[in-house]
Amino acid sequence: MRIELSVNGNAIEVDVEPTTMLVDVLRDHVALTGPRVTCGVGLCGTCTVLLDGEPVSSCILMAPLALGKQITTIEGIPRDDEVVSCFDRQHAFQCGFCIPGMVLTAKNMVEHGTATSREQIREGLGGNLCRCGCYTKIVDAIEEAAR
Amino acid sequence: MSWQMPSTVDEALRLKADNPGATVIAGGTFLGILSGQGLLDNDEWISLQNISELKTLGTEGDLSVGAMVTHRRLELTPVVREDWPGLAQAFGVVASPRIRNVATIGGVLADADYASDPPSMLVASRAVAEVASVRGMRRVPIEDLIAGHYETTLADDELITRVVVPRPRGKGVYRKFRTRSREDRPTVAVAAAREDDRVRVVVGAVSDRPQHYADICAAWKPGDEDSAREIGAAYAEAIRCIGDGRGSAAYRRRVVGVEVRRVLMQVGP
Repeated sequence: MRIELSVNGNAIEVDVEPTTMLVDVLRDHVALTGPRVTCGVGLCGTCTVLLDGEPVSSCILMAPLALGKQITTIEGIPRDDEVVSCFDRQHAFQCGFCIPGMVLTAKNMVEHGTATSREQIREGLGGNLCRCGCYTKIVDAIEEAAR
Repeated sequence: MSWQMPSTVDEALRLKADNPGATVIAGGTFLGILSGQGLLDNDEWISLQNISELKTLGTEGDLSVGAMVTHRRLELTPVVREDWPGLAQAFGVVASPRIRNVATIGGVLADADYASDPPSMLVASRAVAEVASVRGMRRVPIEDLIAGHYETTLADDELITRVVVPRPRGKGVYRKFRTRSREDRPTVAVAAAREDDRVRVVVGAVSDRPQHYADICAAWKPGDEDSAREIGAAYAEAIRCIGDGRGSAAYRRRVVGVEVRRVLMQVGP
């Protein structure tokens, strides 16, 4: 199936089986390695991308379901982005593997005004796991970005 | 492999009638997991993604939810939160925002997964699914739609097109009891919808389908702790609980009693 997707503002045409997951299209066909496959069942958050600005799990999203939508990966976020800067300032990472998903989820929360308290931030990050256990600093970073 | 994207319900029904073996895909979270894990052997897909009439949400009178309305919309739409708070709550605790942004009401009902949050609240709220095929349309109460583990009473050529939820006649509360992490499915799900001085209590995630006992609920005295405790004990007695990775059958039985009591105290006096 030939599909045209809009990734970080660019039109990308790929020829894939309809059941190919969006994350595999992004990694293997578009060479964007920010979204990662870890759990493969939409639970851990490392494959997070934004679809029309809303976070989704790209490891369980069949690629044709993203037709007509704006896909944003961490590569599409400017380096001087406020949320990214806050993660940097707060040293809110260790190995960094989960961070693309964390940043994209955080951006959505900050933009929607749903990062008003630490409890609300923790709630919003419920589906983004960090195996290094950097949660405290990640929450610090999002709290700063939301100010 | 084929992926068809009809743009009207009629077109989708025609495709499904011509090819009953094709899999209908709504949001695609459940099917995405099954497919990704190699549990689905299917070459033909009918995707509802382009059917805008399935994405409408009507809030005048009863709540009228197109099958493709996402969990997130039901969670966040102000009038739903205001007028159907129990329902907004049940859809708002499903997995993570990433799943809720994609998963749909039609999808969660068609999956008939015993451990999903919304079905028990929909049953408590007397929700009815509109089920269509080229042969016509019928209305199916949710308790008659879900037949068992991953099994519905939908015929091969039928689609859920809409879910209608009556305006509540009292408080509605959904309680999700988890034994693992926040984004996990419930170990015990308890939904209660108050109807004047009566109540409908529905317990989900503990057996193959949502469980409701009108006869047990009939004994309810609003606000009475002993009455709530007795009803909890009667539910725990009546339901044959299953055991799974989230809790044993014996553990669930205990929790059902406690959670039913708690939900009754929340919707009373």
